[in-house]
Amino acid sequence: MSKKDTYNMFEMDGDMDKKKKKMKKKEKLEGMKKEMDIDDHEITIEELEMRYNTSVTKGLTSTFASQVLERDGPNELKPPKGTPEYVKFARQLAGGLQCLMWVAAVICFIAFGIEVARGNVTAFDNLYLAITLISVVVVTGCFGYYQEFKSTNIIASFKNLVPQQAIVIRDGQKNQINAHQLVVGDLVEIKGGDRVPADIRIISGQACKVDNSSLTGESEPQSKTPECTHENPLETKNIAFFSTTCLEGVATGIIINTGDRTIIGRIASLASGVGNEKTPIAIEIEHFVDIIAGLAIFFGFTFFVVAMFIGYAFLEAMIFFMAIVVAYVPEGLLATVTVCLSLTAKRLARKNCVVKNLEAVETLGSTSVICSDKTGTLTQNRMTVAHLWFDNHIHAADTTEDQSGQSFDQSSETWRSVARVASLCNRATFRPDQEGVPIPKRLVVGDASETALLKFTELTVGNVMDYRNRFKKVVEVPFNSTNKFQLSVHELEDPLDLRYLLVMKGAPERILERCSTILIKGQELPLDEQWSEAFQTAYMDLGGLGERVLGFCHIYLNEKEFPRGYPFDPDEMNFTTSGLCFAGLISMIDPPRATVPDAVMKCRTAGIRVVMVTGDHPITARAIAANVGIISEGSETVEDIAQRKRIPVEQVNKRDARACVISGGQLKDMSSEELDDALRNHPEMVFARTSPQQKLIIVESCQRLGSIVAVTGDGVNDSPALKKADIGVAMGIAGSDAAKNAADMILLDDNFASIVTGVEQGRLIFDNLKKSIAYTLTKNIPELTPYLIYITVSVPLPLGCITILFIELATDIFPSVSLAYEKAESDIMHLKPRNPRQHRLVNEALAVYSYFQIGAIQSFAGFTDYFTAMAQEGWYPLLCVGLRSQWENVHLQDVQDSYGQEWTFSQRLYQEYTCYTVFFVSIEICQISDVLIRKTRRLSVFQQGFFRNRVLVSAIVFQLLLGNLLCYCPGMPNIFNFMPIRVQWWFVPVPYGILIFVYDEIRKLGVRRYPGSWWDQELYY
Amino acid sequence: MAALKEKRTCGQRCEDFGRFVWNSDDGTLMGRTPEKWVYISLYYVAFYVVMTALFCLAIWTLMYTLDPYTPDYQDRLKSPGVMVWPDTYGEETVEIFYNTSDKASGKKMANILNEFLKPYNDTKQLECNNYNCTKGKYFIQNTFSAPHHTKWSCPFTQSMLGPCSGLEDPTFGYNCSRPCVIIKMNRDGQENVAKIEYFPDRGIIDPSYFPYYGKLAQPTYVNPLVAVRFSLVEEKKAKIQCRVVSHKISYENFHDPYEGKVIFSLKALK
Repeated sequence: MSKKDTYNMFEMDGDMDKKKKKMKKKEKLEGMKKEMDIDDHEITIEELEMRYNTSVTKGLTSTFASQVLERDGPNELKPPKGTPEYVKFARQLAGGLQCLMWVAAVICFIAFGIEVARGNVTAFDNLYLAITLISVVVVTGCFGYYQEFKSTNIIASFKNLVPQQAIVIRDGQKNQINAHQLVVGDLVEIKGGDRVPADIRIISGQACKVDNSSLTGESEPQSKTPECTHENPLETKNIAFFSTTCLEGVATGIIINTGDRTIIGRIASLASGVGNEKTPIAIEIEHFVDIIAGLAIFFGFTFFVVAMFIGYAFLEAMIFFMAIVVAYVPEGLLATVTVCLSLTAKRLARKNCVVKNLEAVETLGSTSVICSDKTGTLTQNRMTVAHLWFDNHIHAADTTEDQSGQSFDQSSETWRSVARVASLCNRATFRPDQEGVPIPKRLVVGDASETALLKFTELTVGNVMDYRNRFKKVVEVPFNSTNKFQLSVHELEDPLDLRYLLVMKGAPERILERCSTILIKGQELPLDEQWSEAFQTAYMDLGGLGERVLGFCHIYLNEKEFPRGYPFDPDEMNFTTSGLCFAGLISMIDPPRATVPDAVMKCRTAGIRVVMVTGDHPITARAIAANVGIISEGSETVEDIAQRKRIPVEQVNKRDARACVISGGQLKDMSSEELDDALRNHPEMVFARTSPQQKLIIVESCQRLGSIVAVTGDGVNDSPALKKADIGVAMGIAGSDAAKNAADMILLDDNFASIVTGVEQGRLIFDNLKKSIAYTLTKNIPELTPYLIYITVSVPLPLGCITILFIELATDIFPSVSLAYEKAESDIMHLKPRNPRQHRLVNEALAVYSYFQIGAIQSFAGFTDYFTAMAQEGWYPLLCVGLRSQWENVHLQDVQDSYGQEWTFSQRLYQEYTCYTVFFVSIEICQISDVLIRKTRRLSVFQQGFFRNRVLVSAIVFQLLLGNLLCYCPGMPNIFNFMPIRVQWWFVPVPYGILIFVYDEIRKLGVRRYPGSWWDQELYY
Repeated sequence: MAALKEKRTCGQRCEDFGRFVWNSDDGTLMGRTPEKWVYISLYYVAFYVVMTALFCLAIWTLMYTLDPYTPDYQDRLKSPGVMVWPDTYGEETVEIFYNTSDKASGKKMANILNEFLKPYNDTKQLECNNYNCTKGKYFIQNTFSAPHHTKWSCPFTQSMLGPCSGLEDPTFGYNCSRPCVIIKMNRDGQENVAKIEYFPDRGIIDPSYFPYYGKLAQPTYVNPLVAVRFSLVEEKKAKIQCRVVSHKISYENFHDPYEGKVIFSLKALK
């Protein structure tokens, strides 16, 4: 990662977009570029001492350090400015549906105001409605806020609470202090196992190696030395960065940057500059609100004109208009959507996915591209022995985390020799007191390869520490970059055998140079051309797998030449180091997690593209990609094709290559069109050696191509991309706080496979929300038609406002929520991700079918029951028509019905309440049928099973009980206008319910039988 | 996705809407080709024709089951309502206010009563309800013995109201402080008027007017009335409650002030 690529990318980006936001970002990054122009690594130590007023021997003075601390603040990454709680709460009140309800409430207030102004003091319905609308928004807002608050708490509990310690030299004294008290100029010491506490210019060091993976994602350890090797501060060897880990060796250095001014701090702050994207579900809901608002205004206006035509006064017609618009607002839907989403969030949390934002639950379901970080997400983030080559065979070792995989044949003599070399020629040791810990999880002091070998031998040979003690070490030559090997000389286990054993490991080609024989099946054979070739092939094969290969050899030293007590000198190397016997090769890799290949496969069948974006080497990246199935078997890159056909790369048709590996270096030379092209043409992509900013660019490019992008990652370097993604998924255990802050979802078990669960649940909730919405929308029509008929035909009002609110917010909530528990109709993980432009949550077919077909049938049911109740009490249907003015006249106490009976106003009012109740009952009965048909959109309900969704069954029972309670509880007539109606009126709407069910079964049958037909197009939603 | 998320300007929205209304590329009008519009319209016409037919069938069945003479249920008519004439309303309750010195106000009251008593005109009543009822007991009729397959209704003539009939005093007493009001009990089909004691004593509603067999059986039925004449103390407002005294008629329904009783205020100014 060079400084140049990092910033050039943004200039390229800036050319493309002229939007204000981007410009601002660019400015910010330009600013960052200036800051990054540090030269602390290039100046001499003396200049450095001058600059920071420090000393490379004594460090800062305590007084000066405290002054600097005062000036710069503590050495810690400031958490991104959290959104204030009230803003979070306000956001809950400002979604698409919420806005619709606010508008409706305002309209209600206006209508109420008009009524009062006209002297109609009794019309409190509008006021009640307005208050209810506002309460629904506020209550669901509180609920949503509480849900998010809870998940934020879960995430916060994962934060590392142990303060980091650092060894600092101040006033010439060595002290251990909390790392956040460090300041610029402090002289610090780091040793193997420590986290680097700030950005440090190395002053002196011994075999110091750091793991930069938290910064760059690269798992290869980088050695750190006092020399300035590169003008770029990120490339030079004499700067160690904050938050990276020192693997081995020791070093001292002077702190040049602390806290947010460190490289990692700047990357973290980059994330906060990236705006949050709207979630797909929010977009869908806005689209849905558009439809509702459009229909409401259309209907309202139509009936406004009709009312004017009939001869109502303008103001009256205006009130009708408002009432119709408000009646279109599905009051219960907001609660349904919120509850459905939080149910899924809960279900996901049980499967170790914590969702920070409720709406993000669905986003994974619409995801079409997953950009996954490699290290730690796809892989275990620990070097492990993967393959061995001995006896002219490549053997595969068990790389699974829990050692559940297959092991290789260990009966060969050669294997014992290889294992002995690997055990003895190894300086890594286990930390003490770890007997209870499984071997792969034990902590080790030593570099990654040695750790891998130690664990490997511990697993295969057993008790390596004891084994080493039996072969007493006489002398050892550590690894260095010129020799590229490491050797040690040991006494033999058998006290009678006085020979010494020399064991050596190192770069395979260097080891082979020193060997003259090779061990095959326990026999020492001369190392001729044939064996050399076999070695070369094996070495190439293993290297091609992206694995780090080490060669192992040994020799028994002649006891005459090297008797006991021989003065071995590690510097002079006064002993045999050639003509050795080659034992074998061992190759290591950071292996993929066991569950990943399966999860990647599932993503593929689900039509989701998995793109690897890593800071690691292209070869390693490619090998892991091939291993986990991101690059499938048989896929070739352009380079592969060129090699196979023996033609130059330029002549290869790019479209022939399924796979493509692009490194950060190549990426910086590509324009955004070229990147888009590459992403479009190659289904299998791997990006290697990418910088955090480049990750951002890759995500943006995917989004430009119309994909919904999920990004997984754990490092600070991933946080900008996590934030930019439609859904950022951070790792809960390995993830840094910055990553978790930027993410929308946290995998508590760091398991990539949990994403697949998330996708499945997301898709299911999308389908089920569709069903819930269809169910909820349907009853809008039977709630609206009574009012329309009341206006136009002047019958006594069949359904009152309070009754409607009871349907919306009490009885029908449970069935609509219970649809969230519905099982998927087909194998949703075998479908392509939905196309956000075509496959909408609420489409025209859904609205039209619900409103004008099922809703219409429900209205007919309601009116049948209404006219029945009226006629049986003495008011014939035809008499009802035009009755309104007499009916509602408070001063008429003797209105005659069809039988000549005379009714007082109150008697008529209670009769009206009876009508409300029968209409309510009709809607309830039809809605039971409705919820049954909504269980499926395509399958027959009989195929889906009536009782498989237990929650739905109990919701229906509950709905009926609640309906009965409302009808028959004493006192209801005067509180909520429910009357104890005659039992047979419950059964009047039943035939209509059956009709709804049968009609929908016919619809589904047609949809199943004739896919793509006119029927399917018009009636499938 | 990016395109989806971009805030569209109003112009773009209008353009999109325009394209929705008429898309020349696919020849679609509001998202459908004209041909498809025809199909879907026909489908909906058919759907609503069938639904309306089913609805009409349901209503026809309903009407078929109803008894034309008696309603199936009288759940709301447990006790008859009572009303007073002249039915002039104040803010909420009936308020019969007039001014003896102002002829017009008395005249208004008298007009209301005259209008109300039109069906009770003696000649009219004797014409349509020419049947000699036996006073003092219920007039039970099991057959349709009246013309046109109906039942007899007992005549109630204006003259039965005596001094308050308006025949002797066309002002009904609204020229002085002795106004008449007329009390009417709503008819319903129930046999709930047994031996009733009335106050004042003269105002007995004779049981021969009951039971009421409904509009179809007794098309010429008129409600029996009670007239009350008050002697008002000058310039005083009197709040009067008239109630039907019967153990079967409740008058204490908090929610219906006109059930079994009527409350009104009476006031005469000079």
